[in-house]
Amino acid sequence: MSKYQLRPVGDRALTVEFENEISRAVNQKVRALDHLLTEKKLRGVEELVPTYRSLLIRYDPLTVSFEQLERYIERAVSKASALQLPKAIVTEIPVLYEGEYGLDLEEIAQLKNKTVEEIIRIHSQSDYYIYMLGFSPGHPYTARFENPFSFRRRSTPRVKIPGGSIVVQLALSDIIPFDQPCGWNIIGTTPLLACDYRQENPFLLRAGQWIRHVPIDKSEFMEIKRQVELGEYKPRTYEKEA
Amino acid sequence: MAELIIETPGMLTTVQDLGRFGSARFGMSPSGPMDSVSFRIANILVGNDPKDSALEATILGPTVRFTDDGLIAVTGADMAPKLNSRPCPRYQAVPVRSGDILQLGAITSGARTYVAFSGGIDVPLMMGSRATAVQNKVGGFEGRRLMAGDRLSLGKPAYLPADTDPRHLPLPAPYANEAIFRVVPGPQEDAFTEAGRKTFYGSTYTVSTESNRMGCRLEGSVIEHAGDGNIISDGIVAGCIQVPGSGQPIVLLQECQTVGGYAKIATVISADLSRLGQCKAGDRITFQAVTLAEAQQAYREQERVILALEERFNHSWAESFVRRIGRRLAGKTI
Repeated sequence: MSKYQLRPVGDRALTVEFENEISRAVNQKVRALDHLLTEKKLRGVEELVPTYRSLLIRYDPLTVSFEQLERYIERAVSKASALQLPKAIVTEIPVLYEGEYGLDLEEIAQLKNKTVEEIIRIHSQSDYYIYMLGFSPGHPYTARFENPFSFRRRSTPRVKIPGGSIVVQLALSDIIPFDQPCGWNIIGTTPLLACDYRQENPFLLRAGQWIRHVPIDKSEFMEIKRQVELGEYKPRTYEKEA
Repeated sequence: MAELIIETPGMLTTVQDLGRFGSARFGMSPSGPMDSVSFRIANILVGNDPKDSALEATILGPTVRFTDDGLIAVTGADMAPKLNSRPCPRYQAVPVRSGDILQLGAITSGARTYVAFSGGIDVPLMMGSRATAVQNKVGGFEGRRLMAGDRLSLGKPAYLPADTDPRHLPLPAPYANEAIFRVVPGPQEDAFTEAGRKTFYGSTYTVSTESNRMGCRLEGSVIEHAGDGNIISDGIVAGCIQVPGSGQPIVLLQECQTVGGYAKIATVISADLSRLGQCKAGDRITFQAVTLAEAQQAYREQERVILALEERFNHSWAESFVRRIGRRLAGKTI
């Protein structure tokens, strides 16, 4: 049975905290509890927000009390440890790694004494796991577990980088959904939108899924971009093998 | 189709409804009114559905013109509203005629004023809500604050039987420049030293000018962390008070980011969130710890008051019957 702490967050929310570390094992506990509570739809539970090592639960205290939730969560955590979660989904993110679309590629390669091709191969050969979304709508917090590789930070952040930029820092890779300032290195650009409000489900990614970066060339980039702008593009997804 | 024409927009006027909930796991904060109690009262006074949208005006209000007859209510902070250059009653349902001009001025106390229009504001739903997310540039009217020349469609006014007494409520007292906010300690109160916690509960903080719908930055005595003040990023709700390395607290509000990595020393209780929405730069704030039970009791009582108002104005037996007939006559489904 997983160890956890339950803490009130004001009078209409609480957080279930597992071990104080960022790891796939701990995040799986969050995922399992999130999955169970989402399926069960307990009356009074209004919203669930999975993060690295905790699950935030917004609830209506006029419908369900904190004590009732405490008991419910105790049973749920116990059940969740035995839960077989559905296979995770990998979403392919096409990336154009060149020229102005991969502004910092050469610099990254130089810093690591590698060629640009090697950097592209390193970045695209492994899946990145999505721990959670946040910071801005659709924005993933990711990490990779195989073939560890650390990308250096920039010494000076940029005031604005375009939405669609793929940025890297340390062991992380991010898709920037909208124009914003950023201190990470731009390794490539994707024609996909991490957040497209025109879609019924605007969000490309979800916590618990994986990302696979796939190198494409300029003409493929323009074609996919055209489809994305028309709202017609369907990203390629598949189940991740354990 | 009735329209509202924005002649001057005021400082920050947006279309809001109760909020865009359900997508925090995707990084989408709810937005919605900063003072939801005043917002809800405005809607009740004009016979609206609780889900209808209305305007939130900030510090300096807009001037608007009506193309059709209707019914409005102005609540929240006092912006000395004028209808056709004559004082317009607040906390009252006020009939307006085609061509009328409503002018809101600068607040004399508080920060935000709500204007509800019977029938609501007809802007497209975005993910189930009409609330404007100013920071994320989405929802409401074109995802932004209103500008001069904007034309907003209004829904058909609810049919309300003629009252011998206009629908009105006693005016609340003006908002003081200082306030005490009740909080539930945590979730990361143990990330602070005992001295740090004492400072937090024993000091008066001033609202800085760098405050907005995302959060209220406070200035005052530095709050001491036990460690470096960083936590593994976790979920946040409006009312959470995070304390970054600087030791200066930030009270997070309706457009705050959904996750964050600074320790949260306490969370403002739901019943006090609306008062928080009336704070502005220069206001002085202190915090008082209460138990979870006390906080939930305060919430229960506040809800009871609002629901009683809803009952009183919009759900009495006879009125309910007449309203249903009225809505049918106005072409709405029952």
